[in-house]
Amino acid sequence: MLYALMGLGLSLITGVLNIPNFAHGALFAVGAYLLVSAANAIGNFWIALVVAPVGVALLGLAIEYAGVRRLYAAGHDYQLLFTFGLALILSESIILIWGPVGYSYLPPQILRGGLDLGFTFYPKYRLFVMVMAGLLVLATWLFLEKTRYGAIMRAGIENKEMVSLLGIDIQMLFTVAFALGAYLAGIAGALTVPIRGVNPGMGVDMLGIAFVVVALGGLGNLLGAIAAGLIIGVAQALVAAYWTEASTVVIYAVMAAVLLVRPQGLFGIR
Amino acid sequence: MKKPIVLLLAAVVLLPLVVRPAIAAEIWIFAIFGLGLNLLLGYTGLLSFGQSTFFGSAAYVAGWLLKHYGINAFLALGIGVGVGAASAALVGYLCVQRSGLYFIMLTFALNQLFYFIAYQWTSVTGGEDGMPGVPRPALLGIDFQDPLTYYAFISILFLASLWLMKRIVESPFGKILQAIRENEVRAEAVGYNVPRFKLLAFVIGGAFSGLAGVLYAMLFGIVPLEAIGFAFSGNVLFATLIGGSGSLYGPVIGSFVFIWLSESVSTLWARWPLLLGVAFVIVVLFLRGGVVEGWSRFWSWRSSKQKT
Amino acid sequence: MAILKTENLTKTFGALKAVNGVSLGVEAGTLHSIIGPNGAGKTTLFNLLTGTFPPSSGRILFDGRDITGTPAARIAHLGLARSYQRTTVFPAFSLLDNVWVAAFATGKSWQGLMWSQTGRYTEVTTRAREALADVGLADKADVPAREISHGEQRQLELAIALAAAPRVLLLDEPAAGLSPDETRKMVALVRSLKGRYTIVLIEHKIDIIMSVSDRISVMHFGSLIAEGTPDEIQKNPEVRRAYLGGVAA
Repeated sequence: MLYALMGLGLSLITGVLNIPNFAHGALFAVGAYLLVSAANAIGNFWIALVVAPVGVALLGLAIEYAGVRRLYAAGHDYQLLFTFGLALILSESIILIWGPVGYSYLPPQILRGGLDLGFTFYPKYRLFVMVMAGLLVLATWLFLEKTRYGAIMRAGIENKEMVSLLGIDIQMLFTVAFALGAYLAGIAGALTVPIRGVNPGMGVDMLGIAFVVVALGGLGNLLGAIAAGLIIGVAQALVAAYWTEASTVVIYAVMAAVLLVRPQGLFGIR
Repeated sequence: MKKPIVLLLAAVVLLPLVVRPAIAAEIWIFAIFGLGLNLLLGYTGLLSFGQSTFFGSAAYVAGWLLKHYGINAFLALGIGVGVGAASAALVGYLCVQRSGLYFIMLTFALNQLFYFIAYQWTSVTGGEDGMPGVPRPALLGIDFQDPLTYYAFISILFLASLWLMKRIVESPFGKILQAIRENEVRAEAVGYNVPRFKLLAFVIGGAFSGLAGVLYAMLFGIVPLEAIGFAFSGNVLFATLIGGSGSLYGPVIGSFVFIWLSESVSTLWARWPLLLGVAFVIVVLFLRGGVVEGWSRFWSWRSSKQKT
Repeated sequence: MAILKTENLTKTFGALKAVNGVSLGVEAGTLHSIIGPNGAGKTTLFNLLTGTFPPSSGRILFDGRDITGTPAARIAHLGLARSYQRTTVFPAFSLLDNVWVAAFATGKSWQGLMWSQTGRYTEVTTRAREALADVGLADKADVPAREISHGEQRQLELAIALAAAPRVLLLDEPAAGLSPDETRKMVALVRSLKGRYTIVLIEHKIDIIMSVSDRISVMHFGSLIAEGTPDEIQKNPEVRRAYLGGVAA
């Protein structure tokens, strides 16, 4: 489910802005670390959960304003280098501010322990994450499908020229899309914290997976990204149960296999 | 057009006087790596963000054979080139059908695949610790243990690679690749099987990267996990762009800049990747076109000033 | 004998029949024009002929051989070359390189593809220069394509097709976007090519069509509604209704 969240955010950014966002994983990490600090400062996990992703969204706004918007006309190579450089800056800054060693973090009191599902004990927090992430995906989906602005954004993925000809401020669209994508990455990061703690390398791993999700789901295909995220998440969980080490490799191998058969991904349109 | 060659020869000869032979060697190795990438990026217009796949694979395979089977240097180089080309053929085959963002993402994701395989297969690759103990065998009776001798070897290979790449880009094949970059649809319409040419460009670029990989492994005696990671891919991209992807010599200049910078700064501060990231950002925002273009722009500005 | 023939050629995109059962034949050495209002399916027909996409049904015959479904990259080698409605050249290349690349593709041999210097291929270079000369751009051979005027780019567009030394030229609105003066030059150019190549021409400007064509086919909503000599077409009431607007010529 988290993968769906990350995939959705990245698909939005790459679809609307048409840039390769290699900083997406770093935004995820920033969200996680902000949660830790916010929770420690405020003393309340829940408030921190609300605040941290907003912080990431603001960061996204700043990034878009200061850098990304100057690069829309530049080639993908420069956009890549820029977001990649950004990722480096962010991850190194994380180490500077929070230290090179990771922390673990306990979930809030009511979500500790497991839930007896009959056939297995499932950690309560993970259930919470699944539900929460699912709600967020649904909310984003509703926004994009049902609201007028969401429709404009989807139209922007299809045909930017047309949208700007309709008199809509395309720059604002880009900014909002980037901030929204950043928000989704941030909250995914924040939600992850009690499951696996934080460590400076968490962004990099997530980045790869996010790209796999988007590639499988079809570029700019938001529903596809959600579906692909779910599929990958389930596949990884299944593999991890039998052959833990190979779980990450399997994700990439599956992607390669799918793309061999269907170059447009599972849901992409050729 | 003799000037660049003279400058290069001078650089090759004088460099070890200025920096440690190992650093100098690293510069030329990276330049070979960059030449491979630029065939794809600058000439064909394909942003392959996974060149370290070929670099690292070649390093691991050749390194392992060197270490456990004691193969000779010649064979090691050949295997490096072969593995680089083969892995590139594989990746290329999967990727050439796509273009634009999709292509970039695919090359990246496949890079990650290889990375994680290397990460997990600790019995062979050593995982996070890398594969130490890669020997540096002699060739034709010449012992390469001495850093300076190895440096000479590497610089000869670099010059040979440069010459080879020059022939390739000046051939019809080079023109066709550029035509694909300029207008893929028209290139196909005038009669070129575009995916096949892209694949060929991949394979050649991979071969160069593979050569660089083996030389790297033999230089440092170890194959670090990073050699197949996306940071390496990013570094070679940066080096190529900062030198200028529009010319043959761009990656060479860029390698100079990059290796010099990274080697000097990394010893000063453990957080030096931060500065690297900043450098990336600055280059993108202010130095588009790289050093080579900046240089030629400077000269045309000067000559236009002289006319007034 | 028709050098280029289509039999009941159809292309549907979803519910839209862009080309509907078109059967026409082009005689060798003639200039055969295809006219029709916008959206009649003319460019789609060209796309089918050049293998940009395969037809939904029907056949294409070139010199008696069935070439239906041949991919675009092979078509040039068969002897069919095309120029496009929207100028599509190689912007960073010099004019010479633009045509050179096209000439090389269909050249006698690709020996030394990755090894020999481009200057060594004299046969190719000669053909390239001839193509440039044919369109009147020989003196600008070393200028980058993005620096020439729109009219000259249309000429280059034609030259690239010529460089392939084809037997059949498919010209898609070569005079598109040209000033009256440039149009006159283009017409003279096309006329000069008439004997040497079989030409299939799509054009909107009626006076051009009438003055150069040997035969005219009229398309409307994807179907062929009339075919004949310029005279016959002018007098055809159906054509008038669909296209010429019913005004007596």
